[in-house]
Amino acid sequence: MQRSPKETSVKLAVNLGGLAMKNPVTTASGTFGAGREYHDFVDVAALGAVTTKGVSLNGWEGNASPRIAETASGMLNSIGLQNPGVAHLKEAELPWLAEQGATAMVNVSGHSFDEYVAVIEALEEAPVAAYEVNISCPNVDAGGMTMGCHGPSVEKVVSMCRAATKRPLIVKLTPNVTDVAEIARAAEAAGADAISLINTLLGMAIDARTRTPKLARVVGGFSGPAVKPVALRMVWQVAQAVKVPVLGMGGISTGEDAVEFMLAGATAVAVGTANFVNPTATVDVIDGVIDYCEEQGVADVNELIGALTC
Amino acid sequence: MALCNENAPILVNEEAGCNIWLMTVVAPEIAAAARPGQFVHVRVPGMDDHILRRPLGIYATDAEAGTVDMMYQVLGFGTDRMTALVPGDAVELIGAIGRGWQPPAGCKRALVVAGGVGSAPLYPLVEELKASGAEVTAVLGASTIDALVARERYGAALGCEPACSTDDGTFGRAGFCTPLVEEALTAAEAAGEPYDYVACCGPEPLMRIVAAMAADAGVFCEVSLERRMACGVGACLSCVVDTVAGKRRACVDGPVFPASEVVW
Repeated sequence: MQRSPKETSVKLAVNLGGLAMKNPVTTASGTFGAGREYHDFVDVAALGAVTTKGVSLNGWEGNASPRIAETASGMLNSIGLQNPGVAHLKEAELPWLAEQGATAMVNVSGHSFDEYVAVIEALEEAPVAAYEVNISCPNVDAGGMTMGCHGPSVEKVVSMCRAATKRPLIVKLTPNVTDVAEIARAAEAAGADAISLINTLLGMAIDARTRTPKLARVVGGFSGPAVKPVALRMVWQVAQAVKVPVLGMGGISTGEDAVEFMLAGATAVAVGTANFVNPTATVDVIDGVIDYCEEQGVADVNELIGALTC
Repeated sequence: MALCNENAPILVNEEAGCNIWLMTVVAPEIAAAARPGQFVHVRVPGMDDHILRRPLGIYATDAEAGTVDMMYQVLGFGTDRMTALVPGDAVELIGAIGRGWQPPAGCKRALVVAGGVGSAPLYPLVEELKASGAEVTAVLGASTIDALVARERYGAALGCEPACSTDDGTFGRAGFCTPLVEEALTAAEAAGEPYDYVACCGPEPLMRIVAAMAADAGVFCEVSLERRMACGVGACLSCVVDTVAGKRRACVDGPVFPASEVVW
């Protein structure tokens, strides 16, 4: 039952700020575990990269339940970056990904500037192809989005991470800001090799009958097909504001969705919530990109990047 | 056992009583792989604005016919939409998922306690225990007589009537089923033939009370927990349960947990 993308003569390889991807599709962190959970359904080595669940230094317990709520064409989550800590990722998950031949991008989280650096330092000897610095999670009280909304703190955390590694450094931004281009420029100035966006939109759901919030933490991150127009707009804005490549995500569930993000300026894309609906969504998106390229006479997927005609 | 995602044509979809429905689908791989207590994650067609799957316990499987039975109570948009499906339509199932019932090796005497549609995921356990030669007592609790939809199937598997209670007194003991559980535990103890296993699935307060009764009687007890779930394969960490070992996933670390590990 394990699926791989179809054969094609279309050139699919892209370079995301030094990260060589065999095709432009990765996973949105937190929606794919560390790949193993979906290996019955898709060959993780066939993806452009596997982006692993956000990891902190010593592990976090995450938030109280209920942690999710379904909303119109989307969902809210407030997992709170539950993770067992970087040692477990390094000892159990990354060797497994390497054994499969997968390209691993690690999403790095922290409650403090120093914690981000400590996570990266702990992984420098591990089989990691790139880091994604998560300054955008809306579900934690310290770190995450609180760091990603403020230009000077973005510059500080990105420069500190930059000094800790020569590997490709991708900085993941929150959409919950007034001017995402300004934040993207701050990340670029501090040494980011690429920008990824969007993380989830801060949202809320209420049960009118019980007059209570549907999430234990009251607010949470909104994702799924409903957020795609917001994500496309922000990817387009950021792609125009910075010179480094962009990893686009937000509501992608088909190949055509992925193509739209590339036309808006993304070099690569991530599939997130769609994995929950369709466990082969990643491979279906790659196949859909191939279909589009074959149908449109696109020989190399790089031709699509920023090819939007306005 | 590897998970699979099967497109499962519907053979039967009908109301068994009191807003409780039975659906039989063709899903040969899941039917062959399923263990008692596991569940399927159902993608219901025609509700694209409600994107998530619905987890449903496996009620019965027929490996030869390649069929899977599910029992569902109509509680929200997804289950309501399911009632509109007819034979010839199909649902998409990920399965068979999770840690099922794990009775102690050589289990001789088991007490099975089901509240409402909790009778579904316990039924394959009853069949398995009976096949292994264990004595099985079943207690079924429901709101009213028409909601005791699994009673006949249980009777056939047990070779005798299950002990039943209804909240409104329309069948069996009036009130909750917990007094029947207490009596069964006490009687077995008094006869010098205590149970060596209690399995319970139903509303969480019922499971909490039964777990406490089993603990008092010194009998190993398992419960099947339900949480709001997104991926169903262990990736998203939406469905976590508080346990003595921290937060664990209801989907793949459960849904069945030893009751002593659950922090209620």
